Amino acid sequence: MNKKVNVICFLVIIFGLPVVLLLVPKSKHSIDEKRDLAVLPTFSRANYLNGTWTKQLDAYIDDHFPFRKTFISLTPVFNQSFGFHFNNDERLFVVNKSKKKVKIDKERENKDTLTYLNEFEESFSGSLLILNGCVYPLNGGSPKMAKSFAQMVNEYARNFPSLRVFSVVAPHSSAFIPVQKYSKYNSQNKRTLLAIKENLHDGAIFSDVFEELNNHSKTKLYFGTDHHWKPIGAYYAYVAFCKSAGFKYIELKDMIPKVKYNFVGTMYQYTKDPSVKDHPDTMEYWEPRVTTDAVYFGKTGTTKSIKSNVFYSSCSGGGTYSTFLGGDHPLMRITTSIKNGRRAVVIKNSMGNAFTVYLISHYEEIWVVDLRYSKQNLARIIKENKINDLIFAVGMYAAMSDGTIGMMRRLATQSGNYKESENSQDPKPSSSESTPAVLTEEDSLK
Amino acid sequence: MWIFLMIFTAFANYGAGIFIEKHTNTKKAKAGMISAVILNLALLVSFKYGGFLYDNINYWLPLPFSRPSNTLPVGISFYTFMVISYVVDIYRGEIKAQRSPLNFLMFISLFQHLVAGPIVRYSQIETQIQTRTVDWAKISDGVTRFCVGLFKKVAIANVAGVLVDKYLNTQLYEISSYEAWFGLVMFSIQLYFDFSGYSDMAIGLAKLFGFDFHENFRHPYAAVSVADFYRRWHISLGKFFRDYVYIPLGGNRKYHDRNIFVVWFLTGFWHGANWNFALWGTYFGVLMVVEKHLKGILDHIPRFFKHGYTLVLIVFSRALFYFTDFNQLGYFIGNLFYSKNDASSGILSDLTAHSLWFIAVVAMCIPWDEIYGQNHKVRIKTERVYSFARPIVNVALLIIATMLLVNSTFNPFLYTRF
Repeated sequence: MNKKVNVICFLVIIFGLPVVLLLVPKSKHSIDEKRDLAVLPTFSRANYLNGTWTKQLDAYIDDHFPFRKTFISLTPVFNQSFGFHFNNDERLFVVNKSKKKVKIDKERENKDTLTYLNEFEESFSGSLLILNGCVYPLNGGSPKMAKSFAQMVNEYARNFPSLRVFSVVAPHSSAFIPVQKYSKYNSQNKRTLLAIKENLHDGAIFSDVFEELNNHSKTKLYFGTDHHWKPIGAYYAYVAFCKSAGFKYIELKDMIPKVKYNFVGTMYQYTKDPSVKDHPDTMEYWEPRVTTDAVYFGKTGTTKSIKSNVFYSSCSGGGTYSTFLGGDHPLMRITTSIKNGRRAVVIKNSMGNAFTVYLISHYEEIWVVDLRYSKQNLARIIKENKINDLIFAVGMYAAMSDGTIGMMRRLATQSGNYKESENSQDPKPSSSESTPAVLTEEDSLK
Repeated sequence: MWIFLMIFTAFANYGAGIFIEKHTNTKKAKAGMISAVILNLALLVSFKYGGFLYDNINYWLPLPFSRPSNTLPVGISFYTFMVISYVVDIYRGEIKAQRSPLNFLMFISLFQHLVAGPIVRYSQIETQIQTRTVDWAKISDGVTRFCVGLFKKVAIANVAGVLVDKYLNTQLYEISSYEAWFGLVMFSIQLYFDFSGYSDMAIGLAKLFGFDFHENFRHPYAAVSVADFYRRWHISLGKFFRDYVYIPLGGNRKYHDRNIFVVWFLTGFWHGANWNFALWGTYFGVLMVVEKHLKGILDHIPRFFKHGYTLVLIVFSRALFYFTDFNQLGYFIGNLFYSKNDASSGILSDLTAHSLWFIAVVAMCIPWDEIYGQNHKVRIKTERVYSFARPIVNVALLIIATMLLVNSTFNPFLYTRF
C-alpha cells in the first residue's frame, strides 16, 4: 500500500505540473523581475532542427513554471537554512554564465544577428557578493576590453575632429566594497579604467571617474539593493568630467537637495536575498537650479515626441532610479535655461542617467542617446545640431562588452531619423524593463 | 546529427556480434572482435581526442589540415565501452549475440544512463532486454532512487558548485592555502554528489522500466585506502578496465606494476582529452603501486589514520582534475602548501552559513548500511520508519529540488563532458 502511495505521489507531481502549466493563464510581464516573460514559440521544422524551438520552449517553461513565484520566493529561505548567519554576513550569489534569457529585437532581427538581453541582466552578470544586505558584482573589468572601448571612442574622435570626445566610464561598485579583503576589486577596476586612459588617442579626453570616486570612497557611492550608482556617486563622476572639460563644477550646496526612501532595486529582484530587502536604500539627490524642457523621441523615425522635465519626482519603490530622465529612452533632447551656445551629445546606458542631469548646468542643449535603444543616426544629430561635446557616459559593463561597443560604434552609421512632432504630450516614466537592452549572451559574460 | 553516429555504432556492433558468434573459436571470430574494437576505439579517439592529438602532433610537426572541432557526440564515452564489452564478451563466449536489431539499439541507447553512465554491460541486462518484471515495489524503489539522486544533484552538488566557483575559479594569486583546500573539499563534494546523483537517477529511472543496473558508487569517501576508494567510485568504469585491460595484460600475475600504470593512465585519459587527466591517472597509478608495496605496513596502522590519509590524497587529486591548465595547476598546488595570503574570513562565514548542510553532506557520505548490517536492530527500526515515511520524504525531496531548479540557471552534470 505504502509503495503505491509513493508511486502515485510521484506521478501526480511529475504529470500534474505540466497539466497546471498548460491550464493556468500566463502573464506577459514579470513586475518583480522587470522583464517580459517568454512567449510560446511557434513550431516549424527549420527552428526545430536548428535547436531554436526547443531552447525557446525551455525558456517559456522556465518563465511560466507552475508556482514559479512561490518557488522563487522560498528558495532564499531554504538557502538560509543551510547554516547560521551572523550580522557581519557575507555570501555569494553565483549568476550562472551558461544560460541567459535572450531576446531578439524584432526590428533589428533582419538586419543583423545581434541578440538582446534586458537591462536587468546586462548589469550584473557574473558572481554577486551579498555583504550586510548590499550586493556587489565581483568583477573588476578587463583591460583587454577597455582597449576595445577606447578604440571605439578614438574612432569618434577621428571622425568628428571638431568635437571634444569624452570617456566617462563608471567603475563597478565592487571597487568600493568596504572590507579589506575585497580591495583587489578596487585595483582591478582602477587597472581597467587606466587601460581606457592609456589607449585613448586622437584627442579623446579621459575623465578620471575612478580617482574622484576613490577620493570619496568612505561615502556610500552605489546603491546596495540596485545595480546603479547613487546620485552622489554620479555627482563625483560629474566633478571628474568638469575637471577634464575645463568647467567649474556646481557645488552640492548650490543645488536643491531632495530625498527618497525605501528604494529596493534590481539586486533584490535578482538575488531575492532577504537581507537585501531588509536594507532598503535611501536616495538623496540634488537638482541643479536650472530650468529645462525635455523632448523624448521614440525608438525610430519620427514617432511622437513628448515634453517633460529631466527629474521625475513621482518615481518611487522599485522605480526610484527612474527619477533621472524618467528612465531609459532611445533619444531625448534637453533644452536648458543656460544660454551659452554649448551643445552636447551624451551616449549612455542607465548609469548615465544620474550623471546626465548634472550637465544641465553647463549646456544649452543636451542630446541623450541610449546606446541600446536608439536607432537614430548620431552623425546627423551631431551635424544638424552643431554639437560641441560628445560624452560617453556608461557603466563598466557597457564598456566591457563587444556587443555594446559595437552598438556605440553603429550609432554613427545607422539610418534612423528623428523629428519633433507638433502634437507633444506629457510623458510617463519609462522602465528599462519594458524595453529591450542590447547585449549578446557572450558579451554579457565578460 | 550525432544520433546517426550512435545508430551506425549500434548496427556495426550488432553485425559484429552475430559474426563473432557464428565463427566462435575460429580466427575469424578473433578478427571480427579485434576489428570491432578498433572501429569503436577509432570513433572514440577521432571524436573525443581528435583535437588533442592534432594539437600535440601539430606542435612538433605542422599538419597540413585544420584542427578538428571539439564537439563530443552525446554519450560516446559510455556507449563505446558498452559495445566493446559486448563484442569481447561474445568472443569469450560469456554472452549470446542479440538477434533483434531493435533490442540491440535499445541496449545502446537506454536513455537513463546514456549521458553519464553507469557503463551498463550487456551481460548485466541480457535477460532483462527480453523479459522484464515491473511491479509496484520496483517502481517505488525507482521513484525513491530518482528523488534521492535529483536531490543530491540539486541541493548538494549545485550548492557545493557555487563555493567551488568562488574558491577555485578565481585569481589564484589571491587565495590562501586554507581557501585552496576548502575549494578542493567543496569540489570533492560536488563531484561525488553530482556523479552519484546522476547514477542514482539513472538506476531509479531504469527500475521504472524494469531494468536493474548495477551500483556505480558505494560510499567512496568512507574508503580506507586509495585502492578501496576506487572499488567504491565509478565502479562500472573500474570493472571495465579490470576485465578488459588489467586482467588481459596479466593482472597481478605478471608485470603487476606496469598493468596498474597502464590501467590508470587510460582511466585518466578516458576522463578527458588533456594532459592533466593523464597526470591525474598516473598519480593514482603511483599511489596504487606504493600502497601495494607498503601493504604490510598500512595494514597495521589504525583505521582512522588510513581513512585520513586516503581522504587527503583523494582531495588533493581533485586539483589535478579541476585545472586543465598546467600553469594554473602548478600555481594552485603551490598555494595549497604555501601562500602569502591570509586566510579569508569568508571561509568561516561560508562554513557557518553552510554548517547544517555540511553535516548533512557528511552524514550522506557515511556507509550506514555497512555500519549497521542487515539484521542490526537500529537498521531494522530505521527501515521500518523510513518505509512508512517514504512517500512524504520523496515528495519533500522532489519539491525542494524543483524549487531550487526553478530558481537556478543551467547546471549540467559534470560527467556529461566525459
